[in-house]
Amino acid sequence: MTTVVPASPRKDRRSRGARRTAVAWLFLAPFTLVFLLYTAVPTVAALGFSLTDLRGMDLRHPFAVDLVGFDNYLRLFRDDSFLRDLLNTGLFVAVGVPLTMGIGLALALAVNSGIRRLRGVFRTVFFAPVVTNIVAVALIWQYAFHANGTVNEVFGAVGLAGPNWLDDPDLAMPVVILLGIWRNFGYAMVLFLAGLQAVPREVYEAAAIDGAGRWRQLRHITLPLLLPTTLVVTVLLTVFYLQVFDEPYLLTNGGPLGSTESVALYTYRQFGAGEFGVSSAASFVTLLLIGLVSVVQFRLLRPRT
Amino acid sequence: MSNMSRRSALQLTSGMAVLGTLALAGCGRGDDTAATASAKPVDSSPATGTVKVWAPQGDADVLAKVIKPFQAANPDLDVKFTLIPNAEYYTKLQSAIAAGKGPDLAQFFPEAQAQFLDPSILRPVPDGLVAPDSFFKSLWDAGVVKDVAYTVPWYAYTYALVYRSDLAEKAGVKAPTTWATTVPFLKALQDAGAAHGLGADIGWDIFNGQDVAMYAWQAGGSLRSADGKWTLDTPATVDALKFNASFFTSGTADPSGPTFLDAQPYFVSGKTACMITGPWVVGQLDTAAKKTGWTASHVATAPLPAGSSGNTSFAGGGTWGVLASSGNADASWKLVRHLTKPSTQVAQYKAYSSLPAVVSAWDDPAIADQPLLDAFLTQMKSTRAFPQVSTWQQVATRLGKEMEGVAKGTQSAEKAAAKVQAYAESLGSGTG
Repeated sequence: MTTVVPASPRKDRRSRGARRTAVAWLFLAPFTLVFLLYTAVPTVAALGFSLTDLRGMDLRHPFAVDLVGFDNYLRLFRDDSFLRDLLNTGLFVAVGVPLTMGIGLALALAVNSGIRRLRGVFRTVFFAPVVTNIVAVALIWQYAFHANGTVNEVFGAVGLAGPNWLDDPDLAMPVVILLGIWRNFGYAMVLFLAGLQAVPREVYEAAAIDGAGRWRQLRHITLPLLLPTTLVVTVLLTVFYLQVFDEPYLLTNGGPLGSTESVALYTYRQFGAGEFGVSSAASFVTLLLIGLVSVVQFRLLRPRT
Repeated sequence: MSNMSRRSALQLTSGMAVLGTLALAGCGRGDDTAATASAKPVDSSPATGTVKVWAPQGDADVLAKVIKPFQAANPDLDVKFTLIPNAEYYTKLQSAIAAGKGPDLAQFFPEAQAQFLDPSILRPVPDGLVAPDSFFKSLWDAGVVKDVAYTVPWYAYTYALVYRSDLAEKAGVKAPTTWATTVPFLKALQDAGAAHGLGADIGWDIFNGQDVAMYAWQAGGSLRSADGKWTLDTPATVDALKFNASFFTSGTADPSGPTFLDAQPYFVSGKTACMITGPWVVGQLDTAAKKTGWTASHVATAPLPAGSSGNTSFAGGGTWGVLASSGNADASWKLVRHLTKPSTQVAQYKAYSSLPAVVSAWDDPAIADQPLLDAFLTQMKSTRAFPQVSTWQQVATRLGKEMEGVAKGTQSAEKAAAKVQAYAESLGSGTG
């Protein structure tokens, strides 16, 4: 048995710490590399592109373009169709987010405590739209909301003449929003469910002993304790909805009269037309909006401790 | 602590952005690179090596079969086809060009190819490879920028009137030859039993824009002036928008249908009695009607009605271009030369109903003996090319979008024309 004289314990700890950092970086490397390569670099490149007059023809020599400063951004805000698309997107978010959350929360509460039998079945059914193929769904919705579609047949059965939903500039957006809600409420529900299950039972027991009814328990216990979840759901849904693309693209292709065209669709069409500068600028406007709205939401819904 | 790291992340990001911008600032557009028009002539020795061909799915599906004689005559040549779904074709081609991994030979659409007509992307067509005047002029013109030709026409189409001859006979009307008699003709078809006289395109996209552009020509307009300025707020454009809208406002066309895929079923079932469409429908209507010989007894064709300045239409179809990056331009051009031989053009027609871009090939009995195609040949000879500027597709798309408002009565034709003009001016002609 040999006794090893320990080196200075301090140095040993430091080298162990360094090794631990190295190991941590090793674990982080796959994500960091992918993130840098596929998110950070393209984002920075897009920011650069948005300040140039890069077009489809320049692809062979992407650096042989002129700097145009904020011209692309100015062009966006002078284009009345971009402004209209901003408003459309705003409407989608302002109506879609609260409704999706409301339905998601109501269903989460029902599945968590209201429904006793077949809880798993309901959970699965409500979540199904999230994982359903949107292309197929949009096709079915198109038929359902067609002038002679299922929805109008229901109207017809009670003697009402239904409108041509997707061809009416005032009604197309509500249908698009409805599809967005239908597709995402299950997602909100699952997040709320997780939040609900984290609320300790004892708090409810104490409240019951103090004589609080179900409504007061909901208002004064469940909802305040769900605030962190609410924040997460709000931010996630807003970020999703600000980038809304699939629903209008598949259901109405932005029409009629541009009433369902979104900022993401605008960006996509500019990109398709080879206007890489303008479309980069448009995507940065979206990014800024997302950042701004998220900061406001964090400020407003931050749990006050 | 978390604040610190957030700040340093921000600093890092902005630093990267500044660096990126500086890198860009170091460069700028060079002077116009003049095309070297004097490309090496292509001789008649056999083609060798490998030629990579990219084309959208559709007319090129049958190419491997159609060029069998060429491959037999050039045994040392290996032709590799890549067919790409139509909707993704240009995107894929552009990315491949950007990455320097493009094919040797690529198909383009004459009505939408201006963004590729540049010496950095395509090689000029060698002198003497083909005779430019053997093609429909508008198709050849669609590949010419600053007197240099970059593409060779391959197949052709244009729009003409396709209408229900049985209903026209019942109503006692003949195909209209002027704008003024068009709506009355459609009304007569409607009175003879059709739900709507015209099955109008209601996509409100680039195709509607192309229609309006064609009507503007018919009304005496030109989309761009001789000195390269957009002229879209002219009385001719306003007339064109109004003419197109008159189908909807007169009730002879329905602004909510048929959509593109419904067009033929509506036509054969009598929901509509007339289409302004391409020659392909002639060969497809029997299928839509599920009855052989239906077309012959129910359908007639006629050239488009003329506005104050004639009945000019646009020429669509396919063209071929050899990429600047190609390592085997010689063999690629030889293949193009083969594709434009009248016999190959007829073989292509027989295989896929692609109508020839070479005028003399229309004399072949396979085509000449089809009376329903006569109107399309007449119309092909009265076609023009869309402006050869890379922003044309955006302008045409906007024109189609604004058309929707005019057709539905939410804005005046004058307002729409002014909007399109303002938009086109903001785009200019694209760079390059």
